[in-house]
Amino acid sequence: MEKRAYKVPDMHCPNCKMRLEGLEDELPGIRQIYASYHQQTLSIEFDERLVSEIEIIQAAKLMGYQLIAD
Amino acid sequence: MTILFRKIFLLCMDCNMSKIVKLQFSVEVSMIDYIAAFITGLTTGGLSCLAVQGGLLTSSIARQVENEARNAVAGRSVKAARVKSGSPAVPARNKRSALAITIFLAAKLLAYTLVGFLLGALGSAFQLTPVMQGIFHLAIGVFMVGNALRMFNVHPVFRYFSFEPPSFLTRFIRRTARNSQGEFITPAFLGLLTVFIPCGVTQTIMALALATGDPIQGALLMFAFTLGTSPVFFTLAYLFTSLGAKLERGFLVVTAALVLILGVVSMDTGLNLVGSPVSISRVFASQTIEHANILQSAESAVIQINVENSRYSPNVVYAQAGVPVRLELVTDNTQSCTRAFTIPSLDIAQILPKTGVVAIEIPVQKAGRLGFTCSMGMYSGEIIFQ
Repeated sequence: MEKRAYKVPDMHCPNCKMRLEGLEDELPGIRQIYASYHQQTLSIEFDERLVSEIEIIQAAKLMGYQLIAD
Repeated sequence: MTILFRKIFLLCMDCNMSKIVKLQFSVEVSMIDYIAAFITGLTTGGLSCLAVQGGLLTSSIARQVENEARNAVAGRSVKAARVKSGSPAVPARNKRSALAITIFLAAKLLAYTLVGFLLGALGSAFQLTPVMQGIFHLAIGVFMVGNALRMFNVHPVFRYFSFEPPSFLTRFIRRTARNSQGEFITPAFLGLLTVFIPCGVTQTIMALALATGDPIQGALLMFAFTLGTSPVFFTLAYLFTSLGAKLERGFLVVTAALVLILGVVSMDTGLNLVGSPVSISRVFASQTIEHANILQSAESAVIQINVENSRYSPNVVYAQAGVPVRLELVTDNTQSCTRAFTIPSLDIAQILPKTGVVAIEIPVQKAGRLGFTCSMGMYSGEIIFQ
C-alpha cells in the first residue's frame, strides 16, 4: 500500500474536489482518496500492484489537473 | 446594473401596486386571488424579485459556468482517452444550464410554498423585521463579494467563501447522480435560500398568506405566485448562460464582476435596512438637507417629507431631540418602492397610497440619527435629532 500527497493548483472550484475524488471510480486499487479545494491538495492511498503512481498522475492530467508531489 | 434593476423595479411597481394593495385587503381567498397572485408573479414579481434574488441565481449559474468552462478544457482530452466519467460534449451544455436553473427555481418554489404553509399556519405576527432582513442581506452580500474575489483568484483565503461538502456526501452524490456530478446541489441550496430575501412584491404576497390564517391557502397562494415568477427568471437566466457558454473562460470574469456588483448592492441594501448611518447609496445620493419644513412647537414637531419615485425629499432632516415628531409623508402619483416606507430601528413599516398624506408618529428620541428607507433598502434618508 502506497500513500502520496500532492499539491493541485489547478483546482479552481469546489466541484473539482468531487471530480478528482472520482478517480477512485475510474482506476483500480485506490483505497482512500481525499481532495480539498480549500487547501488545493490531494492525498491518496493505493495498492501499487493494481495501479501505479504514473497512471494516477496521468488520469488526473486528463481531467485537467496537474499533480505536484508534496 | 443597479440602475437597470431599479428601472425594472419601478416598472413593476407601477403596473401592479394597486392590484397588490387591493389583494392585501381581501382576506377571503378565492380562485381569483390565486390567479391574481400568479399573474402578479408572471408580470412583475419575476422582474422585481430578480432585482433582489438575482444575486443568488447569478451565483448558482456562476458555479455552473465555471464548471462548463473547465469541462470544455478538460473534456476534449478526457474524451480522447475514453475515460468513462468524462465531461459531456459541448451541445449538452445548454441543457445542463437549463437543468441547473430549473432546479434553482424548483427549490425556490418548494421553499416558498412551505413558507406559505407556515405563514398560514402561524397566521399571527410572524414577519421578518427590516433589521433581520438587513442582516440577511449583509451576510449574503459578504458571501457574494467573497465568492467574486474567489473567482477572480485574488487570494487563496477567498476559497473559504465556498462550501466544501464532506467526502461521504460528495461520493454519494457522485455515485447516485453521475451525469450531473452533483453540481446541481448548489442551485438547489441557493433556491432554498431565496426565502430569506423576499423582494417587495413577495413580501406583500407573504403578508397575504399570513392573513389567510390557513396553511393550505397560504401554501397555494405562495405556490401560485412563485410559479408565476419562474418563467421570467428562467428566460433571463437561460439567455445569460447560453451566451456565457460561447464566451468560455472570459465569461467567468464577467460573471465574477456581476456577482461582485450584486454583492455590493446586497450589502448596501442590508446597511440601509439595519438603519446604518453609513451606506454606499447614501454616499452617492444627492442630499437634500432641509430645516425649513419643520413646524416646531413646544410639545411636538411636524416634518413633511415628499415621497418621490426615486428619492425622499428632503432626505436629511433636522429635528429637536426630546420632542415627539409627527412625520407627514406626502405621495403624489408616486409609483415606486419608496411607497413601502420603513424605519428599521422603530419597526415601522407602512405602505403609502399612490397619492395622499400619511402621518407617522415618532416617539421622543434622544439626540442622534434615525434612518428611514424603502422596504428594499434602495432609497433612504435620515432624521437627525439634535
